[in-house]
Amino acid sequence: MGRYFLKRTGAAIITLIAASIIIFGFIHLIPGDPVYVMLGDGATPEQVALLRDRLGLDEPLVVQYLIWVGNALQGDLGQSIFFETPVTQVIREGAETSILLATITMIWIVVIGVPIGILSAIRQGSWIDQGLSGLAMLMASVPTFWVGLYLILIFAAGLGWFPSSGYPSIFEEGGLSNLRYLLLPSIALAAPNAALILRLTRASMLDVAREDYVRTARAKGIRPYRVVLRHILRNALLAVVSAFGFTFAALISEAVVTETVFALPGIGRTVVQSIMRRDYPVIQGVILITVCLYLVINLLVDLSYRLLDPRVELE
Amino acid sequence: MKLRSLFAGLALAALTSAPVSAQTLRYATIGEPPSLDAQMGTATLASTISQHMFETLYAFDSANAPQPYLATGETMSEDGKVITISLRDGVKFHNGDIMDAGDVAASLNRWAEFGSRGKLLGLVSAEATGDLEVTLTLDAKNGAWKSILAYVNGGPVIYPAEIVTAAGGEPIAAENYVGTGPYKFGELRPNRYVELVRFDDFTPNPGPSDGEAGQRVANFEKLRFIPVPDVGTRVSGIQAGDYDYAEYISGDLYGQVRDDPAIQVKISTAPIFGLMFMNSAAGPLATNTKLRQAIMAALNMEQALQVSVGEPELFEANGAYFPDGNVWHTTAGTEFYSQGDPEKARALAEEAGYDGTPIKLLVSTNYKAHFDDASVFTRQLADAGINVQMVVVDWATLLQLRGQPDQWDMFMTHHGSIPDPVLLTVLNDSYPGWWKSDEKHALMAEFTGTSDLAARQAAWSKLQELIYTQLPVVKVGNIFSYDIASPDLVTPWERAPAFPHFWGASTK
Repeated sequence: MGRYFLKRTGAAIITLIAASIIIFGFIHLIPGDPVYVMLGDGATPEQVALLRDRLGLDEPLVVQYLIWVGNALQGDLGQSIFFETPVTQVIREGAETSILLATITMIWIVVIGVPIGILSAIRQGSWIDQGLSGLAMLMASVPTFWVGLYLILIFAAGLGWFPSSGYPSIFEEGGLSNLRYLLLPSIALAAPNAALILRLTRASMLDVAREDYVRTARAKGIRPYRVVLRHILRNALLAVVSAFGFTFAALISEAVVTETVFALPGIGRTVVQSIMRRDYPVIQGVILITVCLYLVINLLVDLSYRLLDPRVELE
Repeated sequence: MKLRSLFAGLALAALTSAPVSAQTLRYATIGEPPSLDAQMGTATLASTISQHMFETLYAFDSANAPQPYLATGETMSEDGKVITISLRDGVKFHNGDIMDAGDVAASLNRWAEFGSRGKLLGLVSAEATGDLEVTLTLDAKNGAWKSILAYVNGGPVIYPAEIVTAAGGEPIAAENYVGTGPYKFGELRPNRYVELVRFDDFTPNPGPSDGEAGQRVANFEKLRFIPVPDVGTRVSGIQAGDYDYAEYISGDLYGQVRDDPAIQVKISTAPIFGLMFMNSAAGPLATNTKLRQAIMAALNMEQALQVSVGEPELFEANGAYFPDGNVWHTTAGTEFYSQGDPEKARALAEEAGYDGTPIKLLVSTNYKAHFDDASVFTRQLADAGINVQMVVVDWATLLQLRGQPDQWDMFMTHHGSIPDPVLLTVLNDSYPGWWKSDEKHALMAEFTGTSDLAARQAAWSKLQELIYTQLPVVKVGNIFSYDIASPDLVTPWERAPAFPHFWGASTK
C-alpha cells in the first residue's frame, strides 16, 4: 500500500508539472490582451503600456511561468487581473457553489440513476425497461439550458416555489435554507447525467448477470433479490463507481451552462468568463486546481475498487 | 455537513420562499464590472455602479445641460484658458473628511494625466487657489469643458487627495473607493455581487433634483449589482421577484415582456449606435476615399438593423450622430447614409480602381448585433462586387488586433450616447482607425475654440458632414436598448438614462 501511494504521488507530480506547462503555454498562446479588456475603448497606448508593465505582462513567458510556479508552490496563485483580488479568493467563492451543486446533483444521480438502472436490467425487454430506456434517452438528449429555463419558468416565475437564480452562501443570512437555490439547477444538471448512469448500471448489470457464478447462485436456489443485490449489483458497481468519480469532477468544472442559466457563481462560469477577459492568473489557478481534483478523485476511485472487490490489488 | 441537516435545509427550502428585502435594490447586470475607479475606465456597467459613489464638479440636468454639482459656479478669463471654480462647502467624503480645493485639484490633475478621457480637456494644471476655489489652466479654449467635467464615464470624479496621489496611474483599489456620493462602497464578491451601502452622512446638493443634477436622496439602504449573464434568467428573475431591475434585455423578447403585467419596461433614452470603422492608416482603404464611398453606397442600414435588432420600436435607421431633439442634432451629410445602391457602388468601386482585393472586416461574436450587421454588410457589398472577408474573433482578440493597422481594413464596434461631440471616438486621432486629416483638424480647432453654443453647433455640423465625405467610420443606426424592472420599483426617470441611477428610487 505504501509503495502504491509513493508511485501514485510521483505520477501525480509529473502530471501536475506537465499540466502546468500546457496550461500556461496554451493560455498565453490565445490572442487577446487583458489590458485592452480592462481599459476599454478609450485606452491610450501610454495607459496600455503602463498597465502591462504593472501586471508583469512584459516579462518573457518563461520568466512569467517560473514566477507563477514559484508562487503557486507557496500557495499563492496570484492576483486576478480583472477583480484585483487574490485568485484563491475568486476560486473559494466559486468552489462552495460548485461543490454543493455537484454534491446535490450526485445525490439525484445516485437516487434516480442506479435504482432505475437496476429495475431496467431486472426487467430486461419488458415494457418497463423499454419505457425507462426511452425516458433515459429523452433525459440525455434534451439540452441542460432548455431544461433549466423551463424549470425556472414553471417553478420560479410561475409557481414561485423556488428562487429563479443566484446562490447566497450557506454561511450567510439564510444558512442551510439557501440550498433551495441549488435545487432547480441540480435537477437540470442531474437529468442527462442520471440517464448515463442509468444506462451504465443497466448494461453492467446485464453483463454480470450472464456470468457463470450468477447462474450457479440461481441454481443453488438463492432468493432472486439476494442474487441481484449481492452477486450481480456488487460486481456491476465497479464500472459505475468509476463513472461516479469522473462525473463528480466534471460536474464541478464543467457545469458552465447550468451556472450561466441559473446565474450561479460557480467554478465553470468563472473560468469561461476569465477566458473571455484573458484573466490569466484565474484561468491558470482554476485549471490547476481542477487537475489536482481529478488526480485526487482518480486515486479515491482506485482505492474504492479495493473496498468493493477485495481481489483488486493496489500495485 | 451532516446529511440530516442537509435534508432539513432542503425540506425547509421547499416550504419557504425567498425573503425579499425592500431595503436592498437588486440589479441584475449582464456581467461583472471591471475596476470601479471611475476616472480610469469607460465600461458602461462600471459607470452605472460608480456614479452612486463618486461625484463630479458638474452634473447633467434632464435637458442634458451641465449644472454645478460639487461646484457652485465659475469665472473664466477672457481667452477662455483660465477657469476658476468655486466649490460647495462642507461636502463630506465617505471617510469622514471634508472635501476641499486640494482634493479637487489632485483629482483633476490625476485624471488629466492618466484618466481614460483625461486628454479631452487639455488641462495644463489644476491648482487650489483657496480653501474652496480651484483654478484650471487649459492649453487652449475648450468650449466643451463643462460637459467634459460633468461626464461620469471615464470622467473627472473627485477623490480625496491622498488616495489619488497614492494611486497615480494605477486603478484605485477597492478598499480605497472613497467618494462623496449618496452610497459608499460595501463589498465586492467576485462573480457574486458588488454591494454599495447608503452613506448616512451624505451632503446633498441643495438644488432641486433634475436629471443627475440637484439633490440626490438615497431611499434604498443597499444597492446590490448581481451578474446574471443569461437574458432569459434576468427576465424570469424579475417575474419571480428575485431582482428589482435587469439591464439589456434582447430585442426578440420585447413583444413578450411589453405585455407582461409583472414587468415594467424601461426603454433607453440614450440610443447606442453601431459603427464600422475604416482603416485610415494602412491597407486598401487608407487613402482611397472613392472606395470608401463605394462601400457606403452599397450599404442598406434598415436591412442590417432588421436582422440585428428585429423589433421596429427598438431601432431607427438614422444617420445623424445625435438624435432628433438633442442640441447637437444635425442632418448634415446624412444624404449619404443608407443608400443601398449596389449599381452606384459598383461604378464608384470601378472608378476607385478596386481590383477585387479582399477587404478584411474584423468582427467579434461577443456582440450579436456586430456580427449580424457585419454579415448583412458582407452580403450587400458582395452584391456590389466588393469582396469582404470577415475575420471573426472574440472581443478580447478584436481589441488587441484593431490596435495593429496591418490586421484589418474595417472593424465593427458600437458607441454609447454622449453629451458632447467632443467625446466621439472617431474624433480622437489615436483611436483605431487613426483618422487624421487637415480638414478634420481645422474643424476641430473651430469646434473646441469657442464656448458659444451656436458656433460650436455650426462647427459640429461641418464635422458630421466631413465624416460622411471622408468616411473614417460608418454609422449603422440607433438602437434603443431596454431594461426591465419590477412593477413595484419607482425610478426618478421614466425612460432609462445611459447610466441608470437609483438615488431618488423607491418601492411602492
